Amino acid sequence: MSSTIIEQGTVEKPHSEKNYLNADHTLKSWLLTVDHKRIGILYLISVTFFFFIGAIAAAMIRYELTSPKGILLSSEVYNKTFSAHGIYMVFQFLVVAIPAVLGNFLIPIMIGARDMAFPRLNLLSWYMFITGGALISLSFILGGVDAGWTFYVPLSTLSENQISLCLVGIFITGFSSIFTAVNFVATIHKMRAPGMTWYRLPLFIWSHYATAIVVLLGTPVVAITLFLVVVERGFGFGIFSPELGGDPVLFQHLFWFYSHPAVYIMILPAFGIISEVITCFSRRPIFGYRFIAYSSLAIAFLGFAVWGHHMFISSQSAFQGIVFSIITWVLAIPSAIKMFNWATTMYKGSVHFSTPMLYALGFMGLFLIGGLTGLHLASIDTDIHVTGTYFIVAHFHYVMVGGTILGYLGGIHFWFPKMFGRTYSEFWGRLSAMIVFVGFNLTFFPQFMVGYLGMPRRYHYYYFAPEWQIYHILSTAGSSVLGLGFLMPGIYLTYAIFKGKKAGANPWGAKGLEWEKCASPPVTENFSEPVIVTGSIYDYNPEEDSKLYENEDDSMLSGRGGL
Amino acid sequence: MAEHGHDHSEHTKGGAHLHHVLPQRMIFMVAGALFALMVLTIWAAFWFPVESLKENTFFMQVLALTIAVVKASLVIYYYMGVKFGTRLIKIFAYGGFVWFFTLFIMMIDYTTRPMEPVPGWEKQSSSALPRDTVENPE
Amino acid sequence: MSDHASHKGDGPEVYFQYEDIDQQQESYVVGMWSFLATEVMFFGALFLIYTLYRWKFHDTFFGAHEQLNWKMGGVNTAVLLLSSVFVAFAVHFAQMGKMKIVNLFLAGTLLCAGGFLVIKTFEYGAKFDHHLFPNHSFSYADPEHHESKSFWDEKLPSVLQMEKHEQEGDPKNARLFFSIYFTMTGLHGLHVVIGIIAISSLMILIKIKSSLITDYVPVELVGLYWHFVDLVWIFLYPLFYLIPR
Repeated sequence: MSSTIIEQGTVEKPHSEKNYLNADHTLKSWLLTVDHKRIGILYLISVTFFFFIGAIAAAMIRYELTSPKGILLSSEVYNKTFSAHGIYMVFQFLVVAIPAVLGNFLIPIMIGARDMAFPRLNLLSWYMFITGGALISLSFILGGVDAGWTFYVPLSTLSENQISLCLVGIFITGFSSIFTAVNFVATIHKMRAPGMTWYRLPLFIWSHYATAIVVLLGTPVVAITLFLVVVERGFGFGIFSPELGGDPVLFQHLFWFYSHPAVYIMILPAFGIISEVITCFSRRPIFGYRFIAYSSLAIAFLGFAVWGHHMFISSQSAFQGIVFSIITWVLAIPSAIKMFNWATTMYKGSVHFSTPMLYALGFMGLFLIGGLTGLHLASIDTDIHVTGTYFIVAHFHYVMVGGTILGYLGGIHFWFPKMFGRTYSEFWGRLSAMIVFVGFNLTFFPQFMVGYLGMPRRYHYYYFAPEWQIYHILSTAGSSVLGLGFLMPGIYLTYAIFKGKKAGANPWGAKGLEWEKCASPPVTENFSEPVIVTGSIYDYNPEEDSKLYENEDDSMLSGRGGL
Repeated sequence: MAEHGHDHSEHTKGGAHLHHVLPQRMIFMVAGALFALMVLTIWAAFWFPVESLKENTFFMQVLALTIAVVKASLVIYYYMGVKFGTRLIKIFAYGGFVWFFTLFIMMIDYTTRPMEPVPGWEKQSSSALPRDTVENPE
Repeated sequence: MSDHASHKGDGPEVYFQYEDIDQQQESYVVGMWSFLATEVMFFGALFLIYTLYRWKFHDTFFGAHEQLNWKMGGVNTAVLLLSSVFVAFAVHFAQMGKMKIVNLFLAGTLLCAGGFLVIKTFEYGAKFDHHLFPNHSFSYADPEHHESKSFWDEKLPSVLQMEKHEQEGDPKNARLFFSIYFTMTGLHGLHVVIGIIAISSLMILIKIKSSLITDYVPVELVGLYWHFVDLVWIFLYPLFYLIPR
């Protein structure tokens, strides 16, 4: 696309013709769809459901911890609660949310394709995701799992709970993500529109490509590891048993071989969203496109070589620990490059504080804190002090919630008009973004402090140190604010889907194939005409573009859109 | 649909371009090589002539793995279509097998554990107690 | 709006999201290789575990492996190689469009796969009878169980029968060996079963001339999977059955 302004008339007004949402109203057309957009919506509904379960578990944990002794839950049930929280949030939400919801929806549109490479495989992925989630839920209904989401042996091989069933569910969810990744890789390689070279791709695509590579190369390892635990429970094989000469730490090695790259699976797509949101709302092309693209790949590949930083106190050799520590420090560099590039993108831009932008800015702040505390954990000596404490809990919540979830919410708010053809109220959007930010900090910042003071994680009670209670109460109070902040989009976005003011094709004035060549909501084939790409998509211009769309009825930037 | 620049008339009914097809002769030759290598592997394991090398575990293992890698390469290159595949396919085919080796980073842990001055994983009598309180630490 | 999927009977069907048949075929093959990369990592972790424990407990591994019947393993290797050859021919004829011959070769592959599973049954049966299955009934280097007989051993033709070996090595580590052996060969066997299901489904779809099969690509994809299964066995055989002293 050239850098001229797109006239409103070049993309047909929606709603006068069929789009992917109203193409067919039957349940069967939704449950047997192969349209990547509908599959994205199916994922949206299901991940929200699983997030909700994980959030209830979190609420129970936070409530329980307000007292130094137990209030509501026995120790056994508390163990099952934090295990549920971890399993649902990690395997059923964080790994899946951005790639399966936004990735599935947007990747073909952003590259100019009519659908994914393997639409039926896409649908199978969703069914496997649901099946995995159902099995995990069944295992919790039948008694639950108390070994944490990390399933360390020998607890997981010896514990008398529903571990095998839960692991089978996780195994199936893992394969669901593998099939999604297969789809992404094939689609991004082979289905780009004419003229869409690799270096013209949106950074969202680069991030998802890197994510897909990580999924393909890492998930099978955790699949086999969890399979081995099931086998050890079921048959009595002893691959991790010390009695037979096996090594329990080997489980940890194999588990973290995937689970560390897994956190990059969670964060890389969020990086992609932030790149898109910041360029749009600063009205400037991204600074250092190739650096960001390459840093995504660097994080993906280097991320496979740092898993031992979860195991510094596990009795792995100190030499190995040093190697992992050094590589972890090196791994901070590509992330830092991205942060600097985003900040530089905003410099001398024309910044609009829309809801997605607020989420993106919140992301940058919270991910910064999370990432910097990660460096505390990368250095072995400080890690030994704080490992297994709430410092770690706070660190990973800063990057996963402050990072991934804020990225996810920002992405949902950004592409919402495209996905549903409706606008939402910017007032409520901005308000809930700020509530989330404030609530999040209130919840997790005290956890850094109490962790540093020594509060261990996964402990049901702390009666031996009642002076920590104040931190827990602060944290729980904050978590109610955070919960409110998460609940609000659920309400106003759902309202907006049905009753929101209709959106034009490009209410944010953004660049990109999905905004400039595609109606809101898109037609089933995505594009009404074949797409040919002739230039970079990030050719924003702060002077001209800031005036664009501000007074248009369809624009959301004027704050008049929505309810 | 014939505007894409190649002549569809030379398509076979299965839709393949003829240069994609692995010739029958090549299939036979690769098959012969695979069976010969299998026999070689078994022969080498039991009846390797040089006695001193036969006792050398490392040599024998390397030999067996080399033969296995050659067989695998033949299967991948010829039977699995990599020979006539596009460059993208070649990258994907080799990439997966190359990536397998990243798992071996774990071996750094196990090879360097004995370097530590604490009772490690080596002998049976490892214990969490300090060294001199364990009876007969080996 | 361009619609490419309308040329039935005119050659391979191009699905609507693709521009031409080349793009479609290459995409499918790239997708299959991505999946095979995941399988490499899946088995790869097991090979890593094997490497680690073999390095630590080499003597016991050598001793325990002598309980495995390398002749049966060798026959299995040959059978699997033959099945690979058949699949290669099947792909060849699919590319030539001669689908009836494809089914013939696929049937040959199925026979070989079935043979593989039969031999495996004999092997596993013998192991169970000799108390070498690594669950609670495992018993190694135990004079009480030393002379146990097995129906599965006796039914073998004499050329395939193994000479008896003393059970050497630490019983605990031997149980580890057999844990890994059964996990890896069992998982491999599971993949063989999945392959049998895939090949049979393919044969049925070809026979009924289903609309899902319009070109050689489904045969190629199943062939890729089957070759991978063969590849795993190419490494499993020397690593378990032919351990050097």
